[in-house]
Amino acid sequence: MDGTDLIKACSAIGAGLAMIAGIGPGIGQGYAAGKGAEGVGRQPEAQGDIVRTMLLGAAVAETTGIYGLIVALILLFANPFLPR
Amino acid sequence: MTKTYELEVKIIKWVLIIMCGLIAVTFFIFKNPKPWALGYAFGSLIGILNFIHLGKTIERAVTMNPGRAQSYTSSRYMLRYLTTGVVIAISLRADHLNGMAVIIGLLLVKFVIFSTQVFNSKEYFKRIFKRREDD
Repeated sequence: MDGTDLIKACSAIGAGLAMIAGIGPGIGQGYAAGKGAEGVGRQPEAQGDIVRTMLLGAAVAETTGIYGLIVALILLFANPFLPR
Repeated sequence: MTKTYELEVKIIKWVLIIMCGLIAVTFFIFKNPKPWALGYAFGSLIGILNFIHLGKTIERAVTMNPGRAQSYTSSRYMLRYLTTGVVIAISLRADHLNGMAVIIGLLLVKFVIFSTQVFNSKEYFKRIFKRREDD
């Protein structure tokens, strides 16, 4: 096993670890949606406000997941540590 | 036309304006602007589609019971995540698309939300270094 193989193996492990970042926003969005549904049930006239606030919050919360995905895919498909 | 729809349209309009601006700038900066321009267009359009999908998901989720809304939103998030992953993977593999441009395009919706909806108050920036005790 030479250095390139070691880099590839470590990059694959790193990509897998980076993908863990994608789980958090999913759980968070689901939790927020559940609470939003509770809020609408309690106060139906505020549905528009709740949906708008959740829309902006959820869109921003997705960003961290996308960052993790970018790191993982760069390690897999455009690895900067491998010699060209 | 509901206020939520108006907000979505406003954000999408801003994304399209910035995308056109970025595409115009690439033609002045780079010798081979086509991969950059295509990357911006591809990334921004997929970002807009993801945003519309998110809006529809949330509008439907708030009418469900909380437990079902939670699982529904999480499953839809994974679908969007998969789409984003496929788009980034294609951009990194394909020669006619610039990966960096696609990533910037995908994150353009978030940038627009931050600049037009979150940090949009001039008063906040004027008072940022003022202490409340000084008033």
